Amino acid sequence: MAELTYASIDNTVIDTLAPPRRTYWATVALLFAGILLGATCWGYQIFRGIGVAGQNNPVHWGTYLINFVFWVGIAHSGTLISAILHLFRAGWRNPIARAAETMTVFAVCTAGLYPFIHLGRVWLVYYMLPIPNQRTLWPNFTSPLMFDVVAISTYLTVSSLFWYTGMLPDLATIRDRSEGLRKKIFSILSLGWTGEYELWRHYTRGYLFFAALATPLVISVHSVVSWDFALGIVPGWHTTIFAPYFVAGAIHSGLAMVLTLMIPLRKMFHYEAIITDRVLESVAKTIIFTGLIVGFAYGTEVFIAWYSRNPVEMESFYWRAFGDYSLEYWIMVSCNTIVPLLLLFKRVRTHIPTLFVISLFVNVGMWYERFVIIIGSVAHDFLPHAWGLYSPTLIEYGIMIGSFCLFFFLFVLFCKHLPSVSMTEMKETLHEGESHAG
Amino acid sequence: MDRRAFLKTAGMGSIAFAAGCSAKPEKTLYSLVKAPDDMVTGKEAWYAGTCRECPAGCGVLAKQREGRVIKLEGNPLHPVNRGTLCMRGQAALQAVYNPDRLLRPQLKTDEGWKEISFTEAEQLLGRKAAAAGKGNGRTRLMSEVVGAPMQALLTDLAYEWRTGDPVYFEPLSHESLRAAHRNVLGEDALPTYHLDQADLLVSFGADFLETWLSPVEYARRFKEMHAIDAGHKGIFVHLSPYQSLTAANADRWHCIRPDSEATLLKALIKYVLEKGDDRMLPGKLRKPLAEAVADADLDRAAAVAGIHPAALAHLADRLLTAERPLILGGGCGTAGASSDATEMAALLLNLVLDPQLSRIDFSRPQNLGKAASRTAVNALVDDLVAGQIQLLLIHNCNPVHTLSRGAEIARALDEGEGFTVCFSNFMDDTAAHADLVFPVQMALETWDAYDGKIGELSLSQPAMGKRHAMPAFGDVILKTAFRDPAAGDYQAWLLDWLGKQAGVNEMGTWIDAVQAGGLFRDAPPKPKSVSLQRGLSTALEALSEAKPPAATAADADTLTLATAPSIRFFDGRGANRSWLCEVPDPLTKVAWQSPVTLHPEAMNRIGVAQGDVVRLHSETADLEAPVYASEAIHPAMALMTMGQGHSAYGRYAEGVGGNPIALLTGDTSASGQPLTLAPLKAIAATGRRIKLAHTDGSRTQYGRKIAVSTTIGEDAAHGHAKGDGHAAGGHEAGLTMETFPLTLPLPEGYDRKRDIYPVHEHEGYRWGMIVDLDRCIGCGACATACYAENNIGIVGEERIIEGREMAWLRIERYLDPHDPSRITFFPLMCQHCDNAPCESVCPVYAPHHSKEGLNNQIYNRCIGTRFCAQNCPYKVRRFNWFEWQWPTPLEEQLNPNVTVRTKGVMEKCSFCIQRIKVAHGHAKDEDRRIHDGEIQPACVQTCPTGALVFGDLKDRQSRVRQMVKDPRAYQAMGYLNIKPAVIYLKKVLQEI
Repeated sequence: MAELTYASIDNTVIDTLAPPRRTYWATVALLFAGILLGATCWGYQIFRGIGVAGQNNPVHWGTYLINFVFWVGIAHSGTLISAILHLFRAGWRNPIARAAETMTVFAVCTAGLYPFIHLGRVWLVYYMLPIPNQRTLWPNFTSPLMFDVVAISTYLTVSSLFWYTGMLPDLATIRDRSEGLRKKIFSILSLGWTGEYELWRHYTRGYLFFAALATPLVISVHSVVSWDFALGIVPGWHTTIFAPYFVAGAIHSGLAMVLTLMIPLRKMFHYEAIITDRVLESVAKTIIFTGLIVGFAYGTEVFIAWYSRNPVEMESFYWRAFGDYSLEYWIMVSCNTIVPLLLLFKRVRTHIPTLFVISLFVNVGMWYERFVIIIGSVAHDFLPHAWGLYSPTLIEYGIMIGSFCLFFFLFVLFCKHLPSVSMTEMKETLHEGESHAG
Repeated sequence: MDRRAFLKTAGMGSIAFAAGCSAKPEKTLYSLVKAPDDMVTGKEAWYAGTCRECPAGCGVLAKQREGRVIKLEGNPLHPVNRGTLCMRGQAALQAVYNPDRLLRPQLKTDEGWKEISFTEAEQLLGRKAAAAGKGNGRTRLMSEVVGAPMQALLTDLAYEWRTGDPVYFEPLSHESLRAAHRNVLGEDALPTYHLDQADLLVSFGADFLETWLSPVEYARRFKEMHAIDAGHKGIFVHLSPYQSLTAANADRWHCIRPDSEATLLKALIKYVLEKGDDRMLPGKLRKPLAEAVADADLDRAAAVAGIHPAALAHLADRLLTAERPLILGGGCGTAGASSDATEMAALLLNLVLDPQLSRIDFSRPQNLGKAASRTAVNALVDDLVAGQIQLLLIHNCNPVHTLSRGAEIARALDEGEGFTVCFSNFMDDTAAHADLVFPVQMALETWDAYDGKIGELSLSQPAMGKRHAMPAFGDVILKTAFRDPAAGDYQAWLLDWLGKQAGVNEMGTWIDAVQAGGLFRDAPPKPKSVSLQRGLSTALEALSEAKPPAATAADADTLTLATAPSIRFFDGRGANRSWLCEVPDPLTKVAWQSPVTLHPEAMNRIGVAQGDVVRLHSETADLEAPVYASEAIHPAMALMTMGQGHSAYGRYAEGVGGNPIALLTGDTSASGQPLTLAPLKAIAATGRRIKLAHTDGSRTQYGRKIAVSTTIGEDAAHGHAKGDGHAAGGHEAGLTMETFPLTLPLPEGYDRKRDIYPVHEHEGYRWGMIVDLDRCIGCGACATACYAENNIGIVGEERIIEGREMAWLRIERYLDPHDPSRITFFPLMCQHCDNAPCESVCPVYAPHHSKEGLNNQIYNRCIGTRFCAQNCPYKVRRFNWFEWQWPTPLEEQLNPNVTVRTKGVMEKCSFCIQRIKVAHGHAKDEDRRIHDGEIQPACVQTCPTGALVFGDLKDRQSRVRQMVKDPRAYQAMGYLNIKPAVIYLKKVLQEI
């Protein structure tokens, strides 16, 4: 990072906002088409009924809930990186914090769509809002789904605000360097930031407190999501380990997604000087750690099922590993805990293409973890006569493609229109010296 | 755009939007100026009638609301079924409201079917009859078995049109059984068997719980003998080559080689003759009988049949020690070459065991006994094929489907010169080849009398006025056949007949009879002494000549195909009722399809797995069917149920499943019994595979406390599991699935050590149900009744494969993993838990705990998160994946007291809350509490064996509360501490 100066940071980042090439707009159009595909599928589903998706009795929850949990999980590392690591003063998070936070906001948005897609009668979703009404309806606050509504909306609000607050000084920098319409827009967005000393003093304090406020949310949101399952009585769901297990899994997947996004971004935007190999290596090391926690959770679940001597629990976990969904189970185990162990080797974790591939593996593995939990548990629960299997339909794949397109659509738009690396925090790193840069 | 243009556009847009979205109002609403006396809006009227879905003739009560019959229930006064119905009886309504029902006569022309008026059709029939002229047998009549008054009319018709004897064609007939009675006892009849009075019942294939003679009646009689009562229970042993539902209810089912029944019976006769000498057997029978069975031997018979010699010896000993043994012969599904001998031997064994035949009653024989023998039917077909018939009248039969010569008949009908009139309400397999299809009134729409047991007249009346223009069959006959008819219409004829034959001469008697549903009088006593007949010697000769089946059949590559009558479709007439297609087969749990059941050994030999489509190749035809694997069948056998595979019979039947009858040779026994076993020339994999539409996820229950069985005395000795997990002293063992106590959904079911939530205080009542697994035979009547009562959607084959069936009540069948022939049937509906897991997880309170303990599902609130269903351990909640369709006029059957659910909503069993509300209304009117037993949910009402009891658990005197004290009482998965309100009583197993 020796060559980095305040000016070079500004130049590198603001260069990314130069008018994009045709291929960029082609990508955006393609992603938008994907979103339309998903929307069409959803429209068809609303028209015909949930039956066009693959859910059945006993598997009433399918890819919609898998993707919901998957995206909420992805959303985790953003706040983790920007808030918790900020509090810990882990300087290596600075180059990737902005992208991670952005990822959080968009992932929560994508995740937030899924409960709507999942509903049988989405047009009545307002029944869940605690508004006094003549229907004498009131939501049931003992339902974990109500916890979800509260937790997810809080998380979306806080993470968006946090993201925006962190971006303020950078927006002002862009304002100062641009002209015309863009100057007007960024003038509004930067809320009159002048960079005075007092402003900075309040800002850094405020940001720190914001980070402290956001930190519990990292833990709470996914804990609450885990209670969607843990508060059910279904074997495979009903365990006390679920909250930490889900949080660890969420961070695991979030970090992997950060790598998946940052490695191409770094290449395209020539961020090599800012997002150094050491930054990526630090993320990789954390992935080893979260992977081990997740692996420990898998082991604990199986152990407790055996230790309980409850035939239902025992059968449920035996079937997970060796039954109809054993392939999915072993994809989950190997992608989430075994493959990340390769990162223990320095040559692996510093070889960027390998790192990228491993991050993809973890993403896939974490998707399958949700599959195994959500599908596998109810498919094989209390009454053997009611057992059944599930497989997604084309409509579900369409919606899944749509949701991935939505996420990348928003992210691609972000990359070219907002600073994808926090100039402010990079300068702080520069100021505070190498020791904080990991 | 200027301001005015904007306002115009916006205004137009919003008006268009508002107008486009308004519901289209009904243009015309009429009220009845003069309503019939018994039609009160919102109140049901009941009309007694007779079920004609099979020849048994159960009594029904038709529940009519606002002019439409919406539900059938058994007539409690009727001596045959005593208030209950089977699944076919429940589904009889779907014939009346069938969307494929013909409402006008159809005449076949060169341009296809042409609709004509009833008058034209009658005139045409008259002209054709005249043209057929006076020659004997140029006009012929084939009809289903009809009641005595109609028989009288048809006899007159036969004289008038010289049709010869009307051929009463019933595909499931019992010629061998009749022949046995004729030859041995001189009674050419099908008697009543008093199963209820027996203490040992041995059946050699008679499927009396499914289709045999009078299944609803025999289900009741069987459980009177076989349900645990004061620590005693009769014994039922079944020997047959495949496990039918009846066999599945036996204490012991022995799998025997096909067609080896007679061999076994002969050996048993010999054994009883030798060992049981104290029996008062007439000497003139004993000696020839001993000679006839001289070459029989228990061990050899056991070897031939392929059962363990010790098991047979044990059974033989049982026969001797039993006080009131009863032997039943073969069923329609297992009639092989020695079918005559089997029935003969079964009767003789009965005679040897009990010379008085005190449990076989000829006083009211089955009307089915009047059915023509297959020989007579074949003769008619021969005449048809030979082109000797100019006018053929077919009334409610479907020979093209139910005879193995169906293709031949179809060809003869198509190509022959003769004119065929099919009195059928459907364009079925036969009607499609007829020249004129003439719809006539169905049993629920017409005046008629039917005696399922001869002499016991059960009346039919039009339960919903004249819904369609079609005349009664009798009206058509009276109008066309007689120049000077004895009566103006069939109703008058019927009254006249009843006056002459049944002493109904006054209006009072008539009205009483119509209200009661029939003339139920005690049967005239029959002399008990059994007179042996001249035919006996020929019978014994046949018996001694009965040869055991080729002993190597199992080793050969060929299999024997059995075509079993179906509890769901009977002979096939039920196949166009969507409820019957949708409710799965009790044993295979496969709906809609008709798979061929094979033993794993046979499957290995052919090299197929379950779901593979195989091609069955017999001498007469080829048929493709998917394989269903079962160990409960002889390895040398392939089994298909009959009833499906129609070439025409409406949307629910056409092309659904396969028809194995075509594979049969069409041979009959000497007595005219159609043989239902056929050797297959080959069976081979086709390489194709389909998904079976089965509703079960597992055949066994993985050692869980779901469908629990016990043995006599076991529970009485131990009582309820006493441990409550907090036993005094020393080591505190935790509660397990097995030791968790019975926790009633009442305040006393709560324990502060276990429950953190407060007790539900119930107001007035706490509804609950008892399910006695020892009484449940798994017949599925309850499930069908539930479909009928609660407007449950029909999803079809594809959706069942996807796992989307909507049944609120299902019968789970669990096989004992150690002995797969032992089956426990486990009816499962919403358990209305006190700590319901579904209630706490719904974000909008759609599942709601009522003040009477019901777990109500409030459809309007439901937004479809489906969390409730995920969290329900019983998986009894059903989601409306789509908007289900009721093709017109099936929607007329819908129960107006029950909401029709839309897509996106969860639903489930409500304990028939609409009936509870009605009872509340009555009780309030009379200022009293609801009586115990006053409320009967549809399932409880129809159960032929009384396995279900509903009532108030809060009332200490109620029947359900009393039954909770039974040491057999337990809760399925009770250890979850959700306090289900459905209490199960364990099935009682007996080792024999």
